[in-house]
This record gives sequence, C-alpha cells and structure tokens, in this order.
Amino acid sequence: MIRMVAIVIIQVLVLYSMYLAGTWIQNALDLMIPGSIIGMVLLFCLLVTKILPLRWIQEGSRYLLAHLTLFFIPVTVGVMEFSHVFKGKGLLLIPAVLVSTILVMLISGKLLDFFMSKRLRKRSNET
Amino acid sequence: MKHSLIEISFPALTIGLYLLSLQLYRKWRHPLLTPILTAVTVIICFLVILDFSYETYMTGAVWIDKLLGPAVVALAYPLYIHRSLLMQYTFPLLLCIVTGVCVGVFSGLFFAQMIGTSQNVILSLLPKSVTTPVAMEITRVSGGMPSIVVVFAMIAGIGGVITAPYLFKWFKIKSDMSRGLGLGAASHAIGTSKALEYGSQAAATSSVAMTISALVASIIIPIIASWV
Repeated sequence: MIRMVAIVIIQVLVLYSMYLAGTWIQNALDLMIPGSIIGMVLLFCLLVTKILPLRWIQEGSRYLLAHLTLFFIPVTVGVMEFSHVFKGKGLLLIPAVLVSTILVMLISGKLLDFFMSKRLRKRSNET
Repeated sequence: MKHSLIEISFPALTIGLYLLSLQLYRKWRHPLLTPILTAVTVIICFLVILDFSYETYMTGAVWIDKLLGPAVVALAYPLYIHRSLLMQYTFPLLLCIVTGVCVGVFSGLFFAQMIGTSQNVILSLLPKSVTTPVAMEITRVSGGMPSIVVVFAMIAGIGGVITAPYLFKWFKIKSDMSRGLGLGAASHAIGTSKALEYGSQAAATSSVAMTISALVASIIIPIIASWV
C-alpha cells in the first residue's frame, strides 16, 4: 500500500516535470500551443522511442486520468464570478453551444461511419 | 491561523465532495448527475452562503489545481496504448477529427457572432468541445476567460452525452468506432466515459478522438482567435 502510494507520487512528479518542460518550451519558443499539450506530445514521443519505459509513468497516469474530474473542480468553481455572462442575451449561448456540439458529433461520427462501411465493402469485394 | 485553516479545509472539502458526487453518479448513472456538475454546484452554494470569495477558496484549492497540467500530460498514456488502432485507421480518423474540430469551432463562432456577445466570451466559446484542462489552456493562450470556457465545455459535455443515444439512432450511426469518435470529438472526457457503454473499442476511439482533437484545436484555435 505504502509502496503503491510512493510509486504514484514519484510517477506524478515525473509527469509534472514533463509539464514543466512543456511550459518551458512554450515560453522559450513563444508558442501558442499550451505547455501541457507540448508535454503530452513530448511524453508520447519518449514512450514511442522507448527512451522512457511505460512502467515509469503507467501508475501515475492511470491515477491522474481516473481522477481527471477532481483536478478541474477548482477552476470550474470560478464560474461563480461570471454569472453575468449568461444574463439576458447571454442565455442564448447555451442552446448555441448545444446545437454546435450536436453538429460536431453528427458530422464527425457519420463521416467515420461512411469510411468504415466503404472499407468493409472493399474488403469483402477482395475476398 | 485562519489562513492555514483555509488552506487545509478547502482542498479537503473539494476532495470530499468529489468522492461523494462520484458515489452518487455510480449509483444512478444519470447524465445530470455528472460528478463535476454536482460537486461544483455544492461548492459554489457553500461559498455563496458563507460569503467566501473565489479568491479565498483558491488560496487552498490551488493545490488541486496544480495537478491539472500533469493530468493533461498523462493523456499521452491512452494515446500510446491505442497507437496500433490509431495507425490502422490513421487517415479516416484524422480527417474525421479535423472535420469535427472545424465544425465545432466555426459553428460556435457563427452562433456567437449571430447572438452578438463580447469578444472575450466568443474567444472562450471556441474550444468548448475540447477536454476541459486543455480548453482552459487554449483560452488562456488565445485571450479568452478560462473560467467561462469551463461552463461551455460542461454544456458541450453533458449536452452531448444526453443527446448522443438519440442522435445515433435517428441518424443511423452504427459502428462502435464512429460512436466513440463522435462522443470524444464533441463531448471530450464526459463523452469518453459515455463511450465506455458502447464497448472498449468505442472507448479507445473516443479517447483518441478527444486527445487528437485537443491537439488539433490547440493549434487551430489560437490562429482563428487572432482573426476574430
């Protein structure tokens, strides 16, 4: 149990240093891509090239991803300072976001469905 | 003394309410009981009733907030695990994800400008379909308000999960991968947790869609934001 906790803490620190490295790269190169995303790409590259073994970050990653929700609670509470945005005309933003979300799900899902059925048909023609 | 008490009690309250709302969701599985919605609502009510400012809350809760960055970095893990699935369908997946991001950003921009809201609200609306921590980072970079994008991301997440089963039925979206992709591209992490109900392949595609669309959006949105 204590061993497990220690592993998770150390691995989270590894991930945290990746995040810091990503932020550093963002600042140094003056990029518009967030440091955390750069850190993610960096980690992915290190894993693919086997420079960093998967087991070094596996437990820490699982732990952080399992509780992803928790980590964005503090920022979400910040909503309380912006209630004025949804007053009056701003209330229309809610259905606007909903319709836009539905469009994304429909178009991207339907498009992949189209590709998949085409590929399946091609495969069944070959055999 | 008062200060250190706040530093301990607010993170404790946040974690406690998170665990409680997670239990609640596991019991009833209703989309409206999405843990973040319950926990945040209760915390805000608590702060408003006891007359604490958000700033005071953050002096303690900042310790939880600090883990947001490494949590985003950890998304490389599912991406690495599912890389063979991704490789197999690289072209169709990428095309669909990029299309999804563009549809989301441009339709959002169109609606927001039609409504005629302020500049920084429009900027905060663009990354709504991106997983929340990344959406916040994008907003920070593009000049919007990170706290507002969270509200939009929650509407996109919860709204998508509620409407998805109907959309799949009415528009005959049949394969598990397509369902997963749609959920991940439109409703990020909340959508990915819903995709689990359609099986592991749907969940894998969904997390891939969520991760790649976050990546694509973090490149596209700052560029579009500089035109607005």
